[in-house]
Amino acid sequence: MTTLTPTPGDTTVRRPGPPSATAERRPPRQGGTVLAVPALIWYLVFMVGPMIAIFVVAALHWPGMLQPVSFAGLGNVRTVMDDPVFWDAVRNTAVQLAVALPIMIVCAYMLGYYVAQKPPGHRVIRYLLFIPGLISTPAKAMVFYAALSPDGLANGALESVGLGSLTDAWLASPSTALACLIALDVWAGIGFTAVLFAARLGSVPDELGEAAQLDGAGHWRTMWLIHFPVIRDYVGVVTMLQFLWTLFGSAQHVLLLTQGGPGSSSTTLSFLVYQKAFIAADLGYSQTVGVILFLAGLVGLLTIRRAFRQNY
Amino acid sequence: MKLGKRWLPAHILVWSYAVLLIVPLYYFLASAFKTNDEIFAHPFALPTSFGFGNFRTAFDSADLGLAVVNSTLVTVLALVLTLGLALPAAFALARSTGRLASVMEKVFSLGFLIPTFAALFPTFLLAAATGLFHTRTFMVLFLPATAMPLSVVILVQFMRTIPKEMEEAARMDGASTFAVLRHVYVPMCMPGIATVLLLNFLTFWNEYLYSLVIIGPDPAQRTVQVALPTLKSITGTDYGVLTAGTVLTLVPVWVVYTVLQKRMQQALVSGAVKM
Repeated sequence: MTTLTPTPGDTTVRRPGPPSATAERRPPRQGGTVLAVPALIWYLVFMVGPMIAIFVVAALHWPGMLQPVSFAGLGNVRTVMDDPVFWDAVRNTAVQLAVALPIMIVCAYMLGYYVAQKPPGHRVIRYLLFIPGLISTPAKAMVFYAALSPDGLANGALESVGLGSLTDAWLASPSTALACLIALDVWAGIGFTAVLFAARLGSVPDELGEAAQLDGAGHWRTMWLIHFPVIRDYVGVVTMLQFLWTLFGSAQHVLLLTQGGPGSSSTTLSFLVYQKAFIAADLGYSQTVGVILFLAGLVGLLTIRRAFRQNY
Repeated sequence: MKLGKRWLPAHILVWSYAVLLIVPLYYFLASAFKTNDEIFAHPFALPTSFGFGNFRTAFDSADLGLAVVNSTLVTVLALVLTLGLALPAAFALARSTGRLASVMEKVFSLGFLIPTFAALFPTFLLAAATGLFHTRTFMVLFLPATAMPLSVVILVQFMRTIPKEMEEAARMDGASTFAVLRHVYVPMCMPGIATVLLLNFLTFWNEYLYSLVIIGPDPAQRTVQVALPTLKSITGTDYGVLTAGTVLTLVPVWVVYTVLQKRMQQALVSGAVKM
């Protein structure tokens, strides 16, 4: 219960409990709030400001860094909607999310469950699973570049087992470029996400699983019908995170590995934002896609939240 | 819990994934000591000699040494600034019960919803407007801002667990607000500070897209993550040099991870939970 003190001009009007009890202690305690101001300003200037600016630039006609700027209103939206490349990017992003997210979350959950049961060698597994989470995006991209280039690891392995006919220029072929990017996400994402799940599952009381086993439930049922509902909301949080990372973070992998090509076969929405801003210098277009991306992120977050809401 | 025979498929699947994680890394480590011909002929063989020729070439051709220095500089300064801003802020928010403070805390937690990577172009404009475009300085100023929501929220949670009596006792001894922060709160929430430091160390060291756009290609300023992909074009397809360079950038993180394995996992897990 909060009470309002009637003192006019007092900035600290709401205090819990009776005002007289805390009145003496107020000056030192309240004075401290000022200490939060620098951090707040920092965060508003460098994060909130640019975020708002996306919406402003999206409404401008701005064909290049040094070109005159004019107000475009919704003109950019029309240009974007009429551009087939944009729709390619929408499709690619949708495919990427639809394939990568379910695989990643389901596999990571099962893997996390496995590790949480402490099977032999689980410490080694845990150590290894985390490695992709530590590697920077450029390093991951270099690993995949070396593995998938025409005379790289993947083709070498195929040749050595006599499947030379299946070799391909994986990153340069329109039919496999996007698949490679998705594979990279999944490869790196499963392990890291599994460790998160394992950590959460580790705090579920053992009795729960044991009770289920006594009642005759197999591991499969214990995993999905007992433990999954318990950590359901955590799965939701992790899914939201992965969703955001995939949606916004794909620009880096695309930039490093395929540059959106061949054609627009691996252009994703977030790469389109980058490409239009820093390569094509069509700034209004770029930020309009940025706004669309932001809204897509918001809608996705709310949907995932709703889907994973505790319902017992 | 007992793991019966029915777990065999699970064991196999998990270890295959583990192999999938190790093989590319092994290939990388081995290739760093080989020439191109050796890599193509025997991709999986152990290197015949452990010379550091590839590393030296990577160092020279992409100025990796300077890039490592730049990365270290940016990471360390940004970490110091992050703590310098987040510690007092968390301290203030954790002790304060006022409405203003709770509004501030909400504002910080809303930061999790802001996808920083979306605001790349406006941030670039900000860098240009402040005259800090193409400098490491802007990254040192910018990175702490992106880390602020998570750092403040984690630190506030740690500081809330410190009993009020600790502060009151210090006050009796005549401690100022800063002294309370320095001598009571900071020592008592060292685990929280370590979490924040590790979490941000990883993000700052591994930051790529912003560094690429803001700092740009100038070898005198660029970080190691920006320098690394240039090896691809500089060396053509000299995989030995390429992999050697990549291995170099992984060493600091890998050392920290191996030494502080448990702590690092906790830090990242708690980071993700708070988000």
